[in-house]
Amino acid sequence: MVKKLFMLLALSIGVFAENAYERNCVPCHRELPTDLQGMFKNYLLVYSGEETVKAALRHYMRYPSKHISVMSDLFIDTYGIKETLQISDQELKEAIDLYWEKYKVFGKLN
Amino acid sequence: MSALKNRATSSLLKSETKSLQRFLSLYILLVMMVISTLGVLYYQAHKELMLSAQRAELVKYAYIQTKRLKVLHHFFDDQRTYPRDPRFRSAIYDIEYKEIFSLLKNRSVDFTQEIYLKDGVIHFVKSMDIFYLGAKYLILEIEDDGAWHKHLIKKILGYGTAAFFLFLFFGYFLAKLFVKPMRDSIMLLDRFIKDTTHELNTPLSAILANIEMMDTDVMVEKNRKKLNRINIAAKTVSILYQDLTYLTLEQERENENEKIDIAELLYDRIEYFKVLVESKALDYEMDINHAEIVMDRRKLTRVIDNLLSNAIKYNKRKGIVGIRLREGSLEIWDTGVGIPEEKRAFIFDRYRRFNESEGGFGIGLSIVKRILDEYGIRIEVFSEKDKGTRMVLKW
Repeated sequence: MVKKLFMLLALSIGVFAENAYERNCVPCHRELPTDLQGMFKNYLLVYSGEETVKAALRHYMRYPSKHISVMSDLFIDTYGIKETLQISDQELKEAIDLYWEKYKVFGKLN
Repeated sequence: MSALKNRATSSLLKSETKSLQRFLSLYILLVMMVISTLGVLYYQAHKELMLSAQRAELVKYAYIQTKRLKVLHHFFDDQRTYPRDPRFRSAIYDIEYKEIFSLLKNRSVDFTQEIYLKDGVIHFVKSMDIFYLGAKYLILEIEDDGAWHKHLIKKILGYGTAAFFLFLFFGYFLAKLFVKPMRDSIMLLDRFIKDTTHELNTPLSAILANIEMMDTDVMVEKNRKKLNRINIAAKTVSILYQDLTYLTLEQERENENEKIDIAELLYDRIEYFKVLVESKALDYEMDINHAEIVMDRRKLTRVIDNLLSNAIKYNKRKGIVGIRLREGSLEIWDTGVGIPEEKRAFIFDRYRRFNESEGGFGIGLSIVKRILDEYGIRIEVFSEKDKGTRMVLKW
């Protein structure tokens, strides 16, 4: 009974999450040792600008591959490559925009 | 004669001076262009030298700042303070040239140059291989006190001025060297014309003087008429001679301005043309008041002679030559053939003769206009075909 209630709660959190980023990104990454901010910094190290980072993320979500991943070989070997994200383009765009806004460096330095 | 010779050989002729001036102007312009170009090149070379000296230092600073950015990138979760250094100011830009953070005084960055000087600061643009914090470009900025600039400008101006005067000195001698062949040929031509006109003057004066001395009272009528014709022909040649002499020699001469009693000069010239007037049975209508003008006597004589001679030459037989003199104006008119309207605009052009029936080179009115222009005297021409021409001089 308790297990059923917990599953219902988890499901309702997933379905009624506030935004696309929280719905589609946060639940899966919660399990990984490298947080989303660490991954964002890896994207910045490789792609630098907003448009290029967003484009790279969009591409990777649709066509995940070891060769284009920004994560280390050790990480890939341990956790593997993610599955293709099956969400609409609009939902993906919204999630990436929110991800950028959350972790971008612009306006955060002093 | 010796004074004339001295003038011709020791001082520069007008045409020679003009050529010399043109050559020197062109030469000075070219020298200035060459010196300016060299100055600009020298300035740019020194600026490059100064920048490459600064570059070595800035590369070192950039290495240090990159290391600091690396640390900040890895500890960005806890640390948000951008690394500062008292030796320079810096900024970071992403791959899309968007400013991530900047401490620059001059925020206008040229990403196409590695190092440059702008508005008193030196910018060093380092393109990063690893984009810490997303920074593709690291910009370092240091102040430029401009001391090298002031020192360089002083040096360029000093050497430039010295070189300019040196070139000017050489240029003057060079110009004189170039002008010499032209000067020699002008001198040769000048001497030739002077000698020939002088040779022409002697027989002409002899003819005119002897005609004046001849006692016409004892001559038979037939011979007196013949002598008259010789006198007219000699005076016509004399006027032509005077005009040619003026054109070839006298216009080069300095003016000897003096106060002239115009009425007195007019009576003198009227007397000179008496034979010509009588030959065409002309009458004078004179209204001459006292008037004075400050002018070169030879030039005023040329003006009056040409106007009178035209009034006589182009007049009808038994016509009238009118002269009216007032303070500030002189009118000479005739009752001749007049000047057709379409030719009136061109009467002062050299070699333009408005009536082909009479002799002459068409240089008279061209000389008149040139003299009048020199002294700022206005001339107005009123003419009616077959009624006559009126020339009005106003000063």
